[in-house]
Amino acid sequence: MSAVTDLLQQVVEGLGSGAVYASLALALVLIHRFTGIVNFAQGELAMLSTYVAWQLVASGMPFWLALPVTLAVSFAGGMLVERIVIRPVQGAPELTVVIVTVGLFIFVNALAGLIWSFTVKDFPRQFPDGGLDLAGVRVDWSTLGILGVVAVVMGLLYLLFQHTSSGLVMRAVACNPSSARLSGIRVGRVLMLGWGLAATVGAVSGVLVAPVLFLEPNMMGGVLIYAFAAATLGGFDSPVGAVVGGLIVGVAETLTGAYVDVIGADLKVGVPLMIILAVLLVRPQGLFGRAAVVRA
Amino acid sequence: MSEPTTGRTEPGASAEPDVPEVSGTTGRTEAGASAEPDFLKVSGLHAGYGRARVLQGLDFSVARGEVCAILGPNGAGKTTTLRALSGMAGGRGSVTLDGTELLGRSPEQAARLGVAHVPEGRGTFNDLTVEENLRIGAHLRTARRWRGRAERAAVTADLERIYGHFPRLRQRSRQAAGSLSGGEQQMLAIGRALIRRPALLLLDEPSLGLAPLVTRELFEIVRAVNEEERTTVVVVEQNARLALDIAHRAHVLEAGRLVLSGPAARIREDGHIAEVYLGVPAHARKAG
Repeated sequence: MSAVTDLLQQVVEGLGSGAVYASLALALVLIHRFTGIVNFAQGELAMLSTYVAWQLVASGMPFWLALPVTLAVSFAGGMLVERIVIRPVQGAPELTVVIVTVGLFIFVNALAGLIWSFTVKDFPRQFPDGGLDLAGVRVDWSTLGILGVVAVVMGLLYLLFQHTSSGLVMRAVACNPSSARLSGIRVGRVLMLGWGLAATVGAVSGVLVAPVLFLEPNMMGGVLIYAFAAATLGGFDSPVGAVVGGLIVGVAETLTGAYVDVIGADLKVGVPLMIILAVLLVRPQGLFGRAAVVRA
Repeated sequence: MSEPTTGRTEPGASAEPDVPEVSGTTGRTEAGASAEPDFLKVSGLHAGYGRARVLQGLDFSVARGEVCAILGPNGAGKTTTLRALSGMAGGRGSVTLDGTELLGRSPEQAARLGVAHVPEGRGTFNDLTVEENLRIGAHLRTARRWRGRAERAAVTADLERIYGHFPRLRQRSRQAAGSLSGGEQQMLAIGRALIRRPALLLLDEPSLGLAPLVTRELFEIVRAVNEEERTTVVVVEQNARLALDIAHRAHVLEAGRLVLSGPAARIREDGHIAEVYLGVPAHARKAG
């Protein structure tokens, strides 16, 4: 295998894991756009959704039927979390809200452990084994599948936000909630929808990553850190940024793991942290985020 | 603040307050006032934020189709009055619009009852285009259910109507609203309110931060809209002269109480009133 194909091989692997980070980052960005909240529990909610999918499959439901059911349950669950956990602290100082999401993180993690125990579970593979051979670079069906799913999610969100009146209302609420209220928009309901949507997108990331990482309550902890790096890199306000950031972080992770001996496989968790740090120092708004440019 | 020469309403005053009524009419007269003089009826309104009681019992009425100006210095409670009408500030007393109680409603409920509040700062949706901003205004028309082609045609007609009032918005329809000038944003805010054909339009300091020419243009448009669409308007202004030009009636607010009410034309022309309450002469604005 030549050096070039080897490099391309690493890039392909990176894109595969990057797509997973992208979808969780997308969930983080959705919530942040709507509410200004950074939801530390996003990964745990995704993990819970993944358990729901696992339970459905374990009780005999075919995977491709269990998936839409899981997404619907996640949507409802996300709305419920907004209503019960987040609404009461709305308008509270930022630190309060952050602590609440951290508390939610711990609660959901423990809840999953309580129900399903902390033993590792095998999650069904959604995509067939094998793959394509492109000029010596092997592209697994699962990599292609993950990239495809994330592209579809992205496309659906784009259609929702840019081409439906509900999407327009959601963007208006994200932009100026008090003005939205004066226009007769029921902002509370829209925020619930936003949380539901984010939980659904997060669930996709959980289900995609579960066959690779194996299912256990702490599965999403690492993914969340990568997703944070992705959202920071892309810009916490930008869904496109989240996806691009996710892919870049994924590729950076595999490349440094493979080529930088000092880092290797053990230390590559440090990569997202270095990315977060570098972005915050050099370009705090991220690649696609906007430093507020508004005329007074 | 000096005691005005005329008596004030005492706290807890009855529904018939001791507010001097200025009579006599010249210029703009009470348009359509005869039909429904109590279209908007404010009685015994107390409102404020937390412990700060800003309004100390307001009583006034606005007839359907009338433009009503609320004038007064900074901190008199002009903005709070509007906020109480649109559900943004809580209050005691009673505010009815066409017989329906508005107090105790949330802003979204008040909006659904026909109140369109253009807040200070204009409430622009910066990330949305100009046309999307207007569509948000039309949201109440479309959001109730998916109504298909007829409804979309109605919204398009509404957009045309607004662009008719504000041709400049049409030129900028695809532009992000955050990039508009202050005057254009104010036009957009009024357009966003008008597109839903509100029963009551509330304008908070539309002249704030705008060049005099732009302000004049804006007020002319408000006058035209009031004449063409019979929209009832309550406008709060520090620039008394401008507001009095388009208003039928005016109320002067000081320290949370009405100290003067009367036909706008009469107030405008009365040199004594202008001097005592509005800190005129001519161009000088009353400073808080």
